[in-house]
Amino acid sequence: MRIDSIEKLEKWRKECRRTFEARKRKVIVCLGEGCLANGSEEVFNEFKKQVAEKKIADVTVESVAKTGCHGFCALGPLVIIEPDGTFYTKVGKSDVAKIVDKTLVGHELIDKLLYTDAKTGEKVADYAKIPFYARQQRISLRHCGTIDPHKITDYIAMGGYAALGKALTAMTPQQVIDEVTKSGLRGRGGAGFATGKKWATCAKVQSDIRYVICNGDEGDPGAFSDRTTMGSDPHSVLEGMIICAYAVGSHQGYIYVREEYPLAVVTLQKAIDAAREHGLLGEKILGTDLSFDIKISRGGGAFVCGESSALMRSVAGAVGEPRAKYIRSVIKGLHDRPTVLNNVETYATVPAIIERGADWFAGIGTKKSTGTKVFSLAGKIKNTGLVEVPMGITLREIIFDIGGGVPDGRKFKAVQTGGPSGGCLPESKIDLPVDFDTLTEAGSMMGSGGMVIMDDRTCMVEVARYFLSFLVSESCGKCVPCREGLYQLRELCAKVCDGEATEDDLALMERLAKTIQVGSLCGLGQSGPNPFLSTLLYFRDEYLAHIRDKKCPGGVCRKLITYSITDACTGCMACISVCPVHAITGEKKKRHVLDTNLCDRCGSCYAVCKFEAIEIS
Amino acid sequence: MVQMTINGKVVKATEGEMLLAVIRRQGIDVPALCDHAAVEPCGSCRMCLVEITREDWNGWKKYVTSCLYPSEDGLIVTTHTPELQEIRRNILDLYMARCPGSELIQKMGEEYGLTRTSFKTIPEGDNCIMCYACTRICEVLGRSAISAVRRGHAKVISGPFGDPPPDCIGCLSCAHICPTDVIEWHDQDGVRGIWGRTFDLIACQQCGKTIITRDFAEYLKEKRQIPADYFDICDDCKRVELARKMGGLVDQAKEVAS
Amino acid sequence: MACDMAKIQEIIDRSPQTPGSLIAVLQDIQREFHYLPCEALQATAASLHVPLSKVFSVSTFYNAFSLNPRGERIIRICQGTACHIKGADLIQQQLTSGLGIKPGETSPDMKYTLEVVNCLGVCAMAPVVVVNDKIHGGVRCDKAFKLVTKD
Repeated sequence: MRIDSIEKLEKWRKECRRTFEARKRKVIVCLGEGCLANGSEEVFNEFKKQVAEKKIADVTVESVAKTGCHGFCALGPLVIIEPDGTFYTKVGKSDVAKIVDKTLVGHELIDKLLYTDAKTGEKVADYAKIPFYARQQRISLRHCGTIDPHKITDYIAMGGYAALGKALTAMTPQQVIDEVTKSGLRGRGGAGFATGKKWATCAKVQSDIRYVICNGDEGDPGAFSDRTTMGSDPHSVLEGMIICAYAVGSHQGYIYVREEYPLAVVTLQKAIDAAREHGLLGEKILGTDLSFDIKISRGGGAFVCGESSALMRSVAGAVGEPRAKYIRSVIKGLHDRPTVLNNVETYATVPAIIERGADWFAGIGTKKSTGTKVFSLAGKIKNTGLVEVPMGITLREIIFDIGGGVPDGRKFKAVQTGGPSGGCLPESKIDLPVDFDTLTEAGSMMGSGGMVIMDDRTCMVEVARYFLSFLVSESCGKCVPCREGLYQLRELCAKVCDGEATEDDLALMERLAKTIQVGSLCGLGQSGPNPFLSTLLYFRDEYLAHIRDKKCPGGVCRKLITYSITDACTGCMACISVCPVHAITGEKKKRHVLDTNLCDRCGSCYAVCKFEAIEIS
Repeated sequence: MVQMTINGKVVKATEGEMLLAVIRRQGIDVPALCDHAAVEPCGSCRMCLVEITREDWNGWKKYVTSCLYPSEDGLIVTTHTPELQEIRRNILDLYMARCPGSELIQKMGEEYGLTRTSFKTIPEGDNCIMCYACTRICEVLGRSAISAVRRGHAKVISGPFGDPPPDCIGCLSCAHICPTDVIEWHDQDGVRGIWGRTFDLIACQQCGKTIITRDFAEYLKEKRQIPADYFDICDDCKRVELARKMGGLVDQAKEVAS
Repeated sequence: MACDMAKIQEIIDRSPQTPGSLIAVLQDIQREFHYLPCEALQATAASLHVPLSKVFSVSTFYNAFSLNPRGERIIRICQGTACHIKGADLIQQQLTSGLGIKPGETSPDMKYTLEVVNCLGVCAMAPVVVVNDKIHGGVRCDKAFKLVTKD
């Protein structure tokens, strides 16, 4: 069915809404990536099967719905029973029968599956009252977890494409640009460039062809919000791009999706096909003069393709090497034409701004960083997952109040933000408000919102070495400071980890870092030394401990630590079976013995010991 | 024309002309390893970094590679500051770790006070400085027979699959443009060897001296519409023949005059 | 292994025959064969009018492409930051010694290929191991070998 006018769109919406709300009682199973990994598809199928068999009055097979990611990945598979918002966590296939009998038929709660508040120890039944959700304000993720990403009708029912309709019929392209500018929206993918300004520049360049590209190359390790948005609410991204196309005058768009996200490609393609079928993409969108189509361009697995000029070369089928950007891609980008490049989260936010107005959006967050931002919480944190919060909230609120703090009774040491281009912030910076400029001033950056939390069992020198290794393997190799410089910086960092570096080496590292920052061709190289520089800034004593005392305070660097087995050993044999070099011997129920000479200090035994019987010194 | 200031001196240049060329025309020595007049600039060596600013930038300045930055009105360029020299020195230091055997790099390093690298010498390093001059010239003059393969620190210049490149025509452009003379080749007994391949050389029908490879001649005939008999005779013999013709003309002219 | 040239050409012909299709074509070939056979690169170069050197350059630049045949079971260990912090190295060590192959290698019986990836975007489930596109989260190092070898 082609929707060729705004009236038809609204009529269709009414139908969609009726279907969406027809079944008041619903079983929602999260099929986001994390829940999927824990077997949520089986849970979903089991619900369908059981509900069909049991024939419950107000719950039919159609009432069992799947959605994209709910964000609280730590507790997946997640099942929500509407309209009560009953929130069941870690649901296995074997739990389904019980849920059907007790909750769906008997309207009873199953305590075992409910969320337990870590602070109070109480069970919380209602979705909205769990602190993880209660503190969030969802704009970009507004539909994630509420709609089936494969159904355009769900999106329409939730008010989808209304913003596009408004832009096309009630606003001029310039008014759209002005609205986005006024909202203060800044690019969610990295440096935080003003979106409205970018669009305005592109629109002004004389050219018959302009491109709109969505950067879905979320390459920062530790960030996964774009994956979620593309996979759980693809139409928001499309709608944002179409609005952008109208504003700048483009007829062709591309979504560059990284190789590692095959499911996102499938979901996006389905969404594009559905949008085309309904006249929301293609010729004469909604019966207006706007013609715009979107193609998916699959990445090949290269971090550097997150850089705009490399991405555009990759879209054109070439090696993703950046070029010097003395002429900006907004003026001369893909195929040398003016090109707007924004990331997934930015586009997904645009429809909300158009619909609810710039003032509403600008009223959220801080003056210079308006709106909300999605953060991916991972690492040593209890509540791993995705959260969307207003800009300006402190790191402490995100990590401790929403994220639940560090698990296993360990101490918080640092939070890594912004991926390999960002930095590590220590506890002393944890009360900083999170916005683009504050993070940059503190020596880190927003990046794509990845937050990896580290506890006291983390060595910050080793973290720097890890990021440098990452960058060495991801550098395109075009320019010398990045190709040779990062390699040498990594070698020197490894030397520190091995306890073989001198203070002269540290001075050399600082000197080299400066050259890489200033001398590199693109952002990857220029920001490449950041993980080293930020750890050095906040954890210099750890570097010095490795150099002067030949000690690794985090107990990680293999050459500087020894493992031993204490009296706490119960003789469970777990460490013996895991030790890759067979350095541990012993019998069942007798204290094991670790041969330090054979031990290669990998820490496998420490990781598997349930009795804290492995000691590191 | 645009007007810029380079190291305090007012300079005129064509708009869009790259800064490096303008700077060098002033007799200022800014080092560059990947720049070559025959190919498009690529900005890989970073040695030609200069500092730029403008009156209206309120003291803000930035570093750009002069080989890639187009001249524009009002630009204030500084080519040698302690910071820039430090960056160039560090880059050469990195090169010396990668190409310990290169005379060119050694010599340039010495100009910056380096006798040996401060870094770990790279075991698999050779004298290739990865300036891409060879692949760029091969794109322009040859048939893109060679390319940069892999990425990052493992990147090397190679033929497809590391084999002798099937598209090579033995034109030697890559060997001639290479600043560190890494690309080996030889002409012997009417045969040229390069990139693990051998090519028949065409000999001059008059003096017997070898001219170019048959593959290159065929390529030029096909792609550049050069006459089929163009490579029958070498340039030297052509010159002799021309001189002879010219001499005949002079004789004829003398006859007419008398 | 002889290559199905007809299949390769059929895959190539699905995309517009322009240099811009290069990455997409290579991805489609890789999806079918799990690696890029030498003949496929040559056919791609000829059909898309791209020099073979450039096709080779692209296929060695991107991590997604493999020029060597891969095993029946492709095991990918995520080495993203969160996985790293949560002990991906230990998993790698267990799998390397258990399977007797290093990352990037395939076992001689063509059963397993071990690979390392820089973040799969499932950080909330760290540490993560992917076996033939199936994601396994919260992998324990002592369970990793069994996980990837079980039928």
